[in-house]
Amino acid sequence: MRRLDLASAALLAILAVIFPFFVNAYWLHVMIIGMMFAIMAASWSLLAGYAGQFSFGHMGFVAVGGYTAGLLATGLNLPLPLGMLAGVLLSALLGGVIGWTCLRMSGPYLAIFTMAFSEVLRIIIVTEVEVTGGAGGMNVPQLFHARTDLPYYYLILALLMVSVGGMMAVVASRWGLFFRAIRENEQAAAAAGVKVTRFRIIAFAIASSLAGLAGAFYAPYIGILTPDVASQDQMGLVVAMAIVGGMESLPGAVAGAIVVEFLVEALRSYGQWRLVLFGALLLFTMRFARNGLIAPGWLRLRNLAAPRGARLAKEAAD
Amino acid sequence: MESTPPLIEAAGLAKHFGGIFAVDHLDLAVHEGELVGLIGPNGSGKTTTINLLTGHLKIDGGHVRVRGQTVAGLPASGFAGLGVGRTFQITQLFSRMSVIENMLVPGLARPGAHKAHVIREARRHLEFLGLAALEKLAAKNLSGGQQKLLELGRALMLEPKILFLDEPFAGVNPYLRDEIIRFVQTLHSEGRTFVIVDHDLDAIQRLVHRLVVMSRGRKIADGPLAAVRENQDVIKAYSGT
Repeated sequence: MRRLDLASAALLAILAVIFPFFVNAYWLHVMIIGMMFAIMAASWSLLAGYAGQFSFGHMGFVAVGGYTAGLLATGLNLPLPLGMLAGVLLSALLGGVIGWTCLRMSGPYLAIFTMAFSEVLRIIIVTEVEVTGGAGGMNVPQLFHARTDLPYYYLILALLMVSVGGMMAVVASRWGLFFRAIRENEQAAAAAGVKVTRFRIIAFAIASSLAGLAGAFYAPYIGILTPDVASQDQMGLVVAMAIVGGMESLPGAVAGAIVVEFLVEALRSYGQWRLVLFGALLLFTMRFARNGLIAPGWLRLRNLAAPRGARLAKEAAD
Repeated sequence: MESTPPLIEAAGLAKHFGGIFAVDHLDLAVHEGELVGLIGPNGSGKTTTINLLTGHLKIDGGHVRVRGQTVAGLPASGFAGLGVGRTFQITQLFSRMSVIENMLVPGLARPGAHKAHVIREARRHLEFLGLAALEKLAAKNLSGGQQKLLELGRALMLEPKILFLDEPFAGVNPYLRDEIIRFVQTLHSEGRTFVIVDHDLDAIQRLVHRLVVMSRGRKIADGPLAAVRENQDVIKAYSGT
């Protein structure tokens, strides 16, 4: 079964590498944005799906990563990659601080607190016109001076593979076990010797750093950064991507992000009605498929592909 | 026994909720190898005492010592690290995680724990508790009694020096009650120390050598079973007169 997963991952990686040779510049751009959202959705899935911390401040960290990279590159003339790295580190640090501040919060309290954090950050960006450019946005220098988006495509593909690979390693490690234990029952986790405070902060820091990474990539790719990056509309989109994909599955969240991003673009001619469609899809998923649509679908396919003998042995073992 | 410091000791322990003392300046010492019963009417402060002695509640007065070392402000995970294990009045499991994963959490939380060794230990405890065949099942799919056993097994994975069991016999059938008594006796004979809170006086009397009785947050009796049974304060607390 593990061999099937690895073979599928390798096939998808090959398809991703050759994808740009079969599409035009528009769909290449859609894929780049889809992969950027995939980092956001997967990191949110790590925080909310695995560690049970329902943060709605994720886009705030995307803004921190993007604005830090942009401000350091334009204000201090630092090399852009250095600015991007600083954005990731600052997001991790701020994520840890927010995680520490929210230690005694869970459920709706945590959701509202983190939403307020993101909104306060957005308002600061709008207000500090001289530093951030306010609502009009801030120009950020390009990372690559190529005539196509190919360098950005391969960069975001590499960032996605490394970040999701890293998160999967975390999930498979004892840290992942502790995250899930905290999600299930904090009191029991503490009684079992899990340092709940430490691991809640770690979960926030990892997820926030990866949101910051997505923002640090987005700023030089688009070339202009506006406060809308931290808006709750964007947060809702990331949550919808993770839920449709499967909140407790990192590959599911990645697939959810890419599928939703492509659907958003493919249905653009329907205007605002496509958002109604997504709302309905989200309601359907939450009511009838709480583990998402893509991750359970993949598991079913995988079971069908397994030899009958192996299936029976697994059923007997279960 | 008295020359070494108690395994766990509470001195002047106090906890109040609003103006009401749930635990009112309690002194209690448990030595290595003891099997102590902690009883009292509902609302007498038994569970609050366990919560204070395992770091699940902050103390408002007095102090707690573990093997002679004062542990001020230590979180529950810190108590677990010192070998203080517990179960809960209402079973607290990692419901959507498998039985074996429930066992691995405390094992892997120990500093320097090796996964292969922890898995071996988990399987040994599951075998002892009769849950070995269920290791892949989600904890939420176990019966109530099996969940109680799993919670006990999870506490054993800490390799605890002392185990607080909060109402282990509540809501279990007579067969399982006898099984739990047998498990506790076996573990005690291997050198583990227990403090057991329960309302099942028959089970408590079959198990413990020393009985502590609480009423309205205070300790009203502490000693061998026979002496406590004759204690007038205890009779008064239970008869309500």
